[in-house]
Amino acid sequence: MTESKKSEEENPRGLKDDELAAVVVAGSIVVFFAVYWFFEIMSVRELLEMAYG
Amino acid sequence: MNSATTRQSPIGPYPRAAIATGLLVLLLAFSFSGMRAEVWTALLPFFEWMETTWFGYVGKTWGGAFATIQAGHLVSLGVLGGAVLFSDGRLLGLYSSLPLRDVIDGSHQVFKWALAVVVFTGVFMVCGVAVKVYYLPVFWYKMLTLTVGILFAFYVRKPLVDRDLSGVSPLVIKLTAIASIMVWFTVAATGRWIGFS
Repeated sequence: MTESKKSEEENPRGLKDDELAAVVVAGSIVVFFAVYWFFEIMSVRELLEMAYG
Repeated sequence: MNSATTRQSPIGPYPRAAIATGLLVLLLAFSFSGMRAEVWTALLPFFEWMETTWFGYVGKTWGGAFATIQAGHLVSLGVLGGAVLFSDGRLLGLYSSLPLRDVIDGSHQVFKWALAVVVFTGVFMVCGVAVKVYYLPVFWYKMLTLTVGILFAFYVRKPLVDRDLSGVSPLVIKLTAIASIMVWFTVAATGRWIGFS
């Protein structure tokens, strides 16, 4: 483990920063994923309804 | 006190979170503004040029070469997906008998090489069908998710999992692992979708 990493770990703000970044980006990805695939599934359903009633 | 612990970033106490949030806001602003259409229009000559490159000629005229490179692309994408599932599965608590640090570090090495092959073979394939994919919305979704996936993997996930995970919130670790699986699943799915468009 490098010295810079050790000094970061002594600082809880560095850990909090990484956690906060992960929550913001990962949360956005999960929301985007859910919305995107919801509309894709709805689109396929509409196509199937048009094709087969 | 160590000078590193007292150093303050010019963008606030949480620079990584601030930069990540700023990038997300910029991405949203770009997606919902007229700038997106302007950039898209400006990129057409670049895509037309790609088809005139050596890669473009080979991809268009020699089907065997395209198929071979595509096989490499798919295999490396499979390896990348395996590395993601292995590492994130371990973060989610699966196969807990395996040492966490070894799984994460080993998977990241495989992930890096697989990503390099995915990108290189992907560029070759795009050159062969550049103008076709230029008009496919799903191609741009793939580029978006690929960019987000790479930034997420190296700028957000890697610094977090490099830490002693006993000090990190389990909820954050699990959210990160789920988001990682989702983003690479979307990269793979939109990639295959291009082939059926």
